[in-house]
Amino acid sequence: MARSFKGKVAIIQFPGVNCEYETADAVRAVGIEADLFRWNEDPVLLEETLAVILPGGFSYQDRIRAGVVAAKDHIMDKLSRIAAQGRPVLGICNGAQVLVESGFIPGIHWESVDLALAPNVMADRDGYYCDWVFLRNEDSRCVWTGAFARKEVVPVPIAHAEGRFVTGDSGILEQMKKNGQIALRYCTDRGGIDGGFPVNPNGSVENIAGVCNPDGNVLAMMPHPERASWLRQVPEDLPGSWGRKRNQASGKFERMEEPGPGRTFFSSLLSIAGHVREKSGGQGKEAGR
Amino acid sequence: MKINVELRVRLKVADLVAQTAWMTLTEKLDFAGILQGIVRYSYWAMDADGTDGKSILDEIDRVVKLDGAFTNQNKHCYSLRGFMRPGAEMDSVRGDLILDRDFPVIAGKRGRSAGVFAWDLLIREKDGGREEGFSSRLNGRLSGVEVSAMKAGEVWRVICDSQDEKSAKRMVERMAVTRSRREGLLLNPHYQQYEFIGVTAVGGGKGSKA
Repeated sequence: MARSFKGKVAIIQFPGVNCEYETADAVRAVGIEADLFRWNEDPVLLEETLAVILPGGFSYQDRIRAGVVAAKDHIMDKLSRIAAQGRPVLGICNGAQVLVESGFIPGIHWESVDLALAPNVMADRDGYYCDWVFLRNEDSRCVWTGAFARKEVVPVPIAHAEGRFVTGDSGILEQMKKNGQIALRYCTDRGGIDGGFPVNPNGSVENIAGVCNPDGNVLAMMPHPERASWLRQVPEDLPGSWGRKRNQASGKFERMEEPGPGRTFFSSLLSIAGHVREKSGGQGKEAGR
Repeated sequence: MKINVELRVRLKVADLVAQTAWMTLTEKLDFAGILQGIVRYSYWAMDADGTDGKSILDEIDRVVKLDGAFTNQNKHCYSLRGFMRPGAEMDSVRGDLILDRDFPVIAGKRGRSAGVFAWDLLIREKDGGREEGFSSRLNGRLSGVEVSAMKAGEVWRVICDSQDEKSAKRMVERMAVTRSRREGLLLNPHYQQYEFIGVTAVGGGKGSKA
């Protein structure tokens, strides 16, 4: 029987990604089916997919520049049409790099590369950096953050060497702000915006951690919500309410299996799942806008 | 005295990054038949101050051979050249990489146009953060020589079939500068800058320093 992604979230497996299984688990944990889609399978299989996630890892071993080789893959033609139809697309870490190098993000001029995820700039160090950070949910139209409260602070881990959102075109940044495309910003555990390291762990312009397209259905985020989808994944010594909750759950197996802070990204999909299913069956917007 | 020094290092084993660039440009970006070959070098250029040109090169050569930040002789070959002034190369190249003969043409369709031209494209990060680090690393190890005005980056030698040098340059620019999903691969202009630093006519035509 032919594989079908109808009503499922497709997790795209480019050669070199390494977060696809836990991302699928995080989606399934909210009650939505998820399956892996190998990059060279027939794109027709994605015709009725509910949503698409590009997971983290090192697609094509980060050769030339993180995300750029995957961005040129033929499967991206299909993802371009899916995104243009308004179906949800999420890029996590390396997936975010693919979306930026594809020009889906910021997507003001569709498929025009108007941003970069440049090497981290950090105080007294360079290269790869891995830690828990705090994100603030900004006022945006992003469907992937729809279940968070306004200005909610969310702890999520990061792990990257090239995660600094930057643009050479200041007009693009202004447009992104005007359109409400800055979905997530790095902040302190109390939600304050501080541009210095380690609150802003990679030197991103305006502390940007996640950017959505103008329609809000495509999100590129550097942090890994799938690594914060269960309470057991949260460090006990994390400042703030999630750390306290985790501390109180220590030794209590059932409580440890409760949702973590990152799960809300995936449960945001629940509230739009019915709407998306309905829309994907009808007339979508054309790609190439 | 002060001279300008250029160091280029490339893998002497298969360069999978260059091969991936080749495959992406020819199979996904429609440069098949135009792109004839592609080579990738790590690149450093700097001013170097010391007693005389030969001893400056000898001392830098001693350090770059030993320091893994520049070369690992198990897998790299290199070329270290000195210039008394721009274009005036000293007659004392160091290293085992012969740049003037480093034109591996991969594609079989040579000579479709008037010539085959190899443009050397230097790509650097705009904020130049790595350059300070390399400068201080070298200065910490050199004896009697001081380097300054460091440029560090990556050079792509892009060999393409073209009518003339200028149209080859435009073609290389199209291959390199990522402007959209379907255009450009080697650099993202939002954080990287580029300059052409040389051209050689590999088959037909006449090359010159850019």
